[in-house]
Amino acid sequence: MSGRRLLLFAPMGLLIAAFTLSVAGLLWSSLSHGGPALYAELLMDAGIQRVLWRTVWIAVVTTAISALLGYPLALFLARSPNRNLWLILVISPWLVSIVVRTFGWMVLLGNRGVINNALRNWGLLDAPIRMLFTPTAVLIGLVHVFLPFMVIAILSSLLMQDRKLEEAGRILGGTRWQTFTRVTLPLSMPGVIGGCSLVLLMATGAIVTPLLLGGLRDRMLGTQIYSEIFQIYNFDRATAMAVLLLVTALVLVAPLRLLEARIRHRLEGV
Amino acid sequence: MPTGFPTRALAILLLILLPAPLVIVVGASFSPRALLEFPPPGFSWRWYLEFLSTPAWLTAFGVSAAIALASAVLTTLAALGAALALQDAPSRLRAAAETAILAPLLFPHAALGIGFLGWLILAEMNGTGWGILIAHLVLCAPFAYRPIAVSLAQIDRSLPEAATILGAGPGQTFWRITLPLLQPGIAASLLFGFIISFDEVTVSMFLVGPEVTTLPVTIYARLNDSADPVVAAISSILILLTAGLVLLMDRLVGLRIFVDVEEEGRRPAA
Repeated sequence: MSGRRLLLFAPMGLLIAAFTLSVAGLLWSSLSHGGPALYAELLMDAGIQRVLWRTVWIAVVTTAISALLGYPLALFLARSPNRNLWLILVISPWLVSIVVRTFGWMVLLGNRGVINNALRNWGLLDAPIRMLFTPTAVLIGLVHVFLPFMVIAILSSLLMQDRKLEEAGRILGGTRWQTFTRVTLPLSMPGVIGGCSLVLLMATGAIVTPLLLGGLRDRMLGTQIYSEIFQIYNFDRATAMAVLLLVTALVLVAPLRLLEARIRHRLEGV
Repeated sequence: MPTGFPTRALAILLLILLPAPLVIVVGASFSPRALLEFPPPGFSWRWYLEFLSTPAWLTAFGVSAAIALASAVLTTLAALGAALALQDAPSRLRAAAETAILAPLLFPHAALGIGFLGWLILAEMNGTGWGILIAHLVLCAPFAYRPIAVSLAQIDRSLPEAATILGAGPGQTFWRITLPLLQPGIAASLLFGFIISFDEVTVSMFLVGPEVTTLPVTIYARLNDSADPVVAAISSILILLTAGLVLLMDRLVGLRIFVDVEEEGRRPAA
């Protein structure tokens, strides 16, 4: 790299350094303060095991629901002549702060919330149904928060497709369904898997939505870290758990990344 | 799953559900009573006036706006430098640098929050605006780099060459040819940076202190105690601000950039 180039890159280099410092510092401090003993203690702790397991299943189910709902929506957007108008409805909620969107669900799902009130006013209920502070509420909130990421990822790979391939499928006698399952869907798999790895990663590390909709009882790893720092003031345990979260996220996402790379390679080889 | 009736029906339902919680929040913010209700039992600006007359809320708003503005401008400059530096770099060097720039996307935010907190404490910068700004710069960098790199790649290389042949110096070529052609990417980068920083909560919640805190973190803290209409009023202001920025983005560069950036961004990573 020439001197001029190095100078141009320097500010971004500083940001990369700040990021590296954070990750390296996290790993270093977890090894120097708690060390393997702390990790062993955490992993043997039945409470932490439950939190870990809950984190994994909530993240996986959130991802699966987002993909199942996101695909039809992305397909609709890709084919709609008014795409830009609909995109505003997807992108605006996407860019509103997670806290605000989660707050919307608190208003909807609370014991005296919009849904319970409506059901009671219509005479369908005597006592409110408990919806807030349940795993279902966390799932609803997380799917709502992350669905736009999935839609945008799938949409981008649908729009990249050459529509002629679909036409060819139809001309060669494929039904609409056959053309979809044998042409459109396989070609859009990089987007689906890319979206899945993104949502999986973010859902694994979520804090705000699980705290506000799930409460302190049904914790996820992110919320556990938060309460270790702000309620128990145990920085070492929080650090070790952050590393645990990092590893969990990588283990969950790595197979998807490999799969995506392989599918892309195969599609581009055609 | 061709775009038959079931796909369309599901898509429309989702397009209603995605903004629904936000509509509820805006509606509830006009309630004259101290209870969150939708539809509101009347109409009043009471909670907006309370927001405007509470110094703590206004300060948090100001801090968030200042940090978001600084994040947007500084990451855009860093990304512009990096994109220009990498433009003609050998492909392996370029791929390595891009992986480093995009790396923060691959880490769960809860873990990054602890990572930043660790070294900011050592640097005595936790609980300061500077600490939050540094974290936001790192988080925004990938979102600033991608649109600018995409814009740069789309420039017809013969244009700057023509300028040079016609006798323009490198500075002139940059200011009069390259920079104007980069406008869509730069606009997208600025808007992305502002929105992401202004909304960020998961990392920021670890870095705020008694003296400096951001608006989303303040909202979160308030929601943890009690959800009241003043939070709905502030949330409504945030929703309006975001919707305004999305429409601005639509006017300036088109919403398609969100989709394009997604696809281009994943390519080198895959």
